[in-house]
Amino acid sequence: MHLGMVIDLKRCVGCQACTIACKSENGTPPEVLFTKVVEQVAGEYPIIKKKFIPVLCNHCQDAPCEKACPTGATSRREDGIVMVDHDKCIGCRACYVACPYKNRIFIKKGALKTGYFGRKLTPFEQVKYPKWQEGVVSKCTFCVERVDQGLEPSCVQTCPADARIFGDLSDPESKVSRLIRQRGGYQPLSENNTEPSVYYLE
Amino acid sequence: MAKTMPLVGNEFVAGFRLQTEWAGLIAAAFFFGKIGAGLFLMSLYTGSKVGALTGLLIVLIGKGGAHLLYLGRPERFWRGLTRPRTSWVARGFWAMMIMAVAGVIYLAAPAGTAVWWVFQVIAGLSAFFVAVYDGFLMNSSPAIPLWNTALMPVLCLFYSLLGGTSLSLFLLHVGAVGLAIGPDFLANLELTLILTNLIVVIIYLLSMTSATAAARESLRLLLRGPYALAFYSLVIGIGLVFTFLLSYLAGVESGAGVVSLITAADLVGHFFIFFLLLRVGVYSPVLGKLSI
Repeated sequence: MHLGMVIDLKRCVGCQACTIACKSENGTPPEVLFTKVVEQVAGEYPIIKKKFIPVLCNHCQDAPCEKACPTGATSRREDGIVMVDHDKCIGCRACYVACPYKNRIFIKKGALKTGYFGRKLTPFEQVKYPKWQEGVVSKCTFCVERVDQGLEPSCVQTCPADARIFGDLSDPESKVSRLIRQRGGYQPLSENNTEPSVYYLE
Repeated sequence: MAKTMPLVGNEFVAGFRLQTEWAGLIAAAFFFGKIGAGLFLMSLYTGSKVGALTGLLIVLIGKGGAHLLYLGRPERFWRGLTRPRTSWVARGFWAMMIMAVAGVIYLAAPAGTAVWWVFQVIAGLSAFFVAVYDGFLMNSSPAIPLWNTALMPVLCLFYSLLGGTSLSLFLLHVGAVGLAIGPDFLANLELTLILTNLIVVIIYLLSMTSATAAARESLRLLLRGPYALAFYSLVIGIGLVFTFLLSYLAGVESGAGVVSLITAADLVGHFFIFFLLLRVGVYSPVLGKLSI
């Protein structure tokens, strides 16, 4: 099995619901976004075009972050999901610099003390923050806890435009494989030969 | 990839993005690693035990300390030794450890014995590795095209040798060491290395003009953007041109004051070239330019 995601750029409306769903599911501290939608604008008023590009960890099959990690904290599961073991991470940020997509996040010291609302953590933050550590690098896991229960990642489930599709890339009959085949899905920065598990459709 | 994509600070806008994680402390670690390893190597050549000890201490305290201060979890630093098969960080860590152990044994062993010879070779090889591995570390990152070039280890090697030569001359002129070779040789070596470094820097920059759009954006920041003043004044002006002119016109025989000035100028240029190369590292945009 090789889990991956297809993102249909024609469908994305830039609502950032995936960004919020990810934060809600993972309870990440301020400034930590495992996924987000970046926007690109071309032209000048009144002839203008705007494109929304959802980005997240690409779970590369030849992941430079995994090679760069000096501790083995970054590893790849059999289903292709790239994980970070926070207990092994030393916070050297070699993986951060090695990721061509800049989709790794360093959790700064003090980030887990104040939360979003200043002096005190909210009850939600008190429940969610114990799973994070300060001074280490973290990233999207395709919501591995959900995937292991047979569910889709939170961003996929939330997307109102059905722009994100999750599935098994190794199964030629899966929806993701068919979409890639039929609509010419392409990997971001494929020239780096990192074999991302995320494909984009134009 | 179009060169008109913007350099963006807002993380919700597509475009070139600056590398922001590796900066001052990593530049300091690279700097101390290279000058310490360079001094150690030069001291093996010149037969100066004080120089070798100084080089070893610069690597261990300067480089090791800067790395420890930078780590998010310094108490787990030992874990950084576990993946030398794929990680240049781990390989560098191992090289530092081997250099420290072999260097101490070499310094403690009686000169001319088998132990002295063996550990001199091991310490020398590991010091060479410490001098160049930063270049391989930067070169191994496909994310930052400015660093992703085989010239990076070459740049590291020549800067390391220049730093080591400058520090050897400095230690000689302040009376801290006696050398087995003449100071004239070191002075000529210094001049040669300054010119070599200038040529390597120029070749490196020229090679980037035909590299990817992200590399060219880095080059723009370095040569025409906000970092240009620091690059031209500190790296080229003080670090290479001033050092060369002072070495050539005044010469190291002018006394300890002039040698101190030459060494200080060289070290300023040495620190800032790698600091600036780290600061102007730019990531490519995830997708290409949008067109109407």
